[in-house]
Amino acid sequence: MSKFGKAIAAFCEKHGFLGKCALVAENVVKKPVFGCQDCGQCVLSYDAFTCPMRCPKQIRNGPCGGTRADGHCEVYPDRRCVWWLIYERSRKLGRTAKLRKYHIPVDRRFEHTSAWLNVFAGKILPMDLSRDYDDPDWDQPRKPKEADGQPVGEAK
Amino acid sequence: MKQGEFVVCGEMGPPQGADKAAILRKCGYFRGVVDAVNLTDNQTAIVRMSSVMSSVFALEGGVEPIMQMTCRDRNRLAQQSDILGAYAAGVQNILCLTGDYQSFGSNPDAKGVFDLDSVQLIHSVADMNDGKLLSGEDMKVPPRMFIGGAANPFAEPFELRIIRLGKKIHAGARFIQTQPVFDFPRFDRWIQAVRDEGYDERVFIIVGVMPVKSAKALEYMLDSVPGMSIADEYIQRMKSAADPKEEGVAICVETIKRLKETPGVKGVHIMPVLWESITPRIVEEAGLLPRPIISGPSDPASAACNRSNPRHQVDCPGTPAPDLTDRPGTPAPDVACNPTAEVAP
Repeated sequence: MSKFGKAIAAFCEKHGFLGKCALVAENVVKKPVFGCQDCGQCVLSYDAFTCPMRCPKQIRNGPCGGTRADGHCEVYPDRRCVWWLIYERSRKLGRTAKLRKYHIPVDRRFEHTSAWLNVFAGKILPMDLSRDYDDPDWDQPRKPKEADGQPVGEAK
Repeated sequence: MKQGEFVVCGEMGPPQGADKAAILRKCGYFRGVVDAVNLTDNQTAIVRMSSVMSSVFALEGGVEPIMQMTCRDRNRLAQQSDILGAYAAGVQNILCLTGDYQSFGSNPDAKGVFDLDSVQLIHSVADMNDGKLLSGEDMKVPPRMFIGGAANPFAEPFELRIIRLGKKIHAGARFIQTQPVFDFPRFDRWIQAVRDEGYDERVFIIVGVMPVKSAKALEYMLDSVPGMSIADEYIQRMKSAADPKEEGVAICVETIKRLKETPGVKGVHIMPVLWESITPRIVEEAGLLPRPIISGPSDPASAACNRSNPRHQVDCPGTPAPDLTDRPGTPAPDVACNPTAEVAP
């Protein structure tokens, strides 16, 4: 599959028109349904199929501290806080464990490209439809990357 | 600084002007009274002197700065370069925030950056501490920032807040500062959840308190600061008080005393908005003086070097840049630290 997917992605990249078609097809589905912001690195499967990029601050590891008591956005009081929605839906779908996933910074180069093709090409994480999220290090102190024996950011 | 002692942090808003003297003057309120002072980064999106330079000036003024950094004004390049510069100048604490949205501030017409979010910023700084830039490139002389994050115990959804706190800790935060407490039932629920997850043992939870001057200020906060929760009791007390300022101080002192008894709370963060001069009185009345000596307050130069962790002395300004390969694996308490004469005013 991955080889096949990569071949498809490479083919679409070579023929720019096909890539655009894939993007249009993706937008036709995602824009009306999820309010897709075209970031090209979809995390919908982790956030109960609610796009966090709709947040005014585009927080992917949300929410910010300003959610109003009624669950509305601090910036646009007439809108629901996106992260509130994500939480509500995660709870209903039994996917709250997925909210623990740390999302890496957005790669701005992927904006306005097809996330589907990016998955095929292996550039971004594929969808994960399971309800569980397992990070074995979750309860562990952050591990230093260097093996110089020196703990990093140690408390004073 | 944090060897089991109850920590006291202050907060200082940099001036709206190129006024270094104002910072040095305000440092006088904090010196010897608090363990560290937060320098806000364009708080509420209103333009002020940069938190990086203010932190450097605070060092000159003899107080330990906690540099706040928001994601609103800088992209990942600027954030990393500012962190490197600040650390080189002796700033060793950073509080990573997402930042208030620009529409609340003095420049609602500005473009917000929000390139990273606060969790990603914490992660990036922790990576930098490990010697890696965000690009994956190695640094020969990495910073050793003491990283903090923020938490709001009063905002909903509650469970998601705890998850996000866990994310921040997981990303590398070592201390957490919270919004000011004016609502103990909700705070107690939050700190209970924090204890249940064991987070209070993994990070220093430093809880915000705020002295207010009037009932109006409380009502204003309740109405216009999203995510704040204030118990009616306090508003009533402020309204019926003969001297609201005194009452505000009394409430603040009471809150600190109660927090000190709360398990899991490792310190308080006193954040008087534009009322920094009250900090010494509050600390004294709360019975938190004298502060444990961590550096000679009269000698800002040595304060920049001797702060707390002996390991930091290796990296402190004024000493030759250490080579990564011969950095000692264990703390070296007797490493000499040159007085940084060029830092002193």
